[in-house]
Amino acid sequence: MQHCDPDELALAAFDEQLSAEDAAHLADCAECQREVASLRRSVDVLAVPELAAPGQAIAPPPQVWAAIAAATAVNVSPREEAVARGVDAPAPGPTESAGHELAGSDAGSATVVPIGSRSPRRSAARWLPLAAAVLVGGFIGAGAVAVTQNGAGGAVVAQAGLDPLPEQNASGSAEVRESRGVRELRVDLDLPELDDGYYEVWLLQTDAQRMVPVGVVQRGATVLPLPADLDLAAYPLVDVSVEPLDGDPTHSGVSVVRGELSS
Amino acid sequence: MSLLAVRLPHLGTVADVPITEGSAQLGAEPDDAEVARRFADGDEQALAWAYERWAAQVHGMAVRAFGPGPDAEDVTQQTFISAWTGRGRYRPEQGPLPAWLVGVCRHKMADTWAKRERQRRSTEAATNEARSAPTTGPGSELATEVADRVLLLGELNRIGQPQRSIIELAFFEDLTHAQIAARTGIPLGTVKSHIRRTLERLRDRLEVDGAALRS
Repeated sequence: MQHCDPDELALAAFDEQLSAEDAAHLADCAECQREVASLRRSVDVLAVPELAAPGQAIAPPPQVWAAIAAATAVNVSPREEAVARGVDAPAPGPTESAGHELAGSDAGSATVVPIGSRSPRRSAARWLPLAAAVLVGGFIGAGAVAVTQNGAGGAVVAQAGLDPLPEQNASGSAEVRESRGVRELRVDLDLPELDDGYYEVWLLQTDAQRMVPVGVVQRGATVLPLPADLDLAAYPLVDVSVEPLDGDPTHSGVSVVRGELSS
Repeated sequence: MSLLAVRLPHLGTVADVPITEGSAQLGAEPDDAEVARRFADGDEQALAWAYERWAAQVHGMAVRAFGPGPDAEDVTQQTFISAWTGRGRYRPEQGPLPAWLVGVCRHKMADTWAKRERQRRSTEAATNEARSAPTTGPGSELATEVADRVLLLGELNRIGQPQRSIIELAFFEDLTHAQIAARTGIPLGTVKSHIRRTLERLRDRLEVDGAALRS
């Protein structure tokens, strides 16, 4: 069996998405997995939120300069108003975002440790801009949807428009209906046919770090039962992903449409 | 009134902090490159200018890590003191001054974590002694991570350009290799192989000197 190219394994240590072929090999090859794990150690140690490029600027209080001047014995002073102006500079940070990329192995990681390990940041950093975009994109503004009674399917308790993610050509809608205490998710999707793999629908938290798989969906309408105790307020994002048939139950990281449920 | 702040797409360098350019109103003020040059030359006024321009960025990082208060203030203060006294190690051709300051800040943050960890352990040891309990316990994984962070940040300092900028974009800006290639103009294949070689180098460093093996 042909092993993955070492360069690709290094990218896997950063949770970058590999080609389907490499991903499939890696899933089955203990030797390649060991290599990734050994390279990942420095990623875990350094790629933490605390060490990330500067985010929000905060002017230090005056005693900080006083201590610097005392220690360096310089005879100059910064102008307070200029230091404060440093806060107005736009916060630097990743300007590009991978957006819909997410490593499957991270999808299930739930706990956030104080001094972060890699996973909370990477999944958050790559998903959040997108989640934010979705929110700004108007689903919040869609307003409350009146609960409508429908004899056959029960009451609509929440619904969402599903918009394509960047570079995706798909769209759809979702609604949650409740009847006698049982809730169902109905999705109506306009999706390209897949040559291989399948579509799966998920409910995500707004930070897109935790998620619940709801089931396999296809073009057109699909109705799926929801877990009885699932709190929709905690998992308001409806997400449809393309999943390879690789036996890996976690999110592939390739989402095609997404939208927020509003009730 | 506002400074024109632009993010320069430096070829092969990490522009961690926006580069500010003097506006007409501030015509007498040197641009960032001039501040950096004078800083390296030991011009005291350049330290004040650097503080005016980048202290808020540095302090924002420190507050993000430690919350507002003495620890964050200490990190910011130590960053500028250390940058000034160690200015001989700053190489303008290796990247802009603000990026270097951010790098110094990361070291100070790692040192602060290490200091906190030592304090935690000594408190724990004292407590355990009082209870005559063994001193090994939970927290050793954190201790390993804290020590490895200091080690690896030191190793990053020894990596030349453009390798260092490439790996920093991956570590600290969470960019994919394709985004790094787009940002730096370095070919995709080159970016990939630099990432691999740097990760191998850091792994070797951990295998030789890593905390996991020492403890």
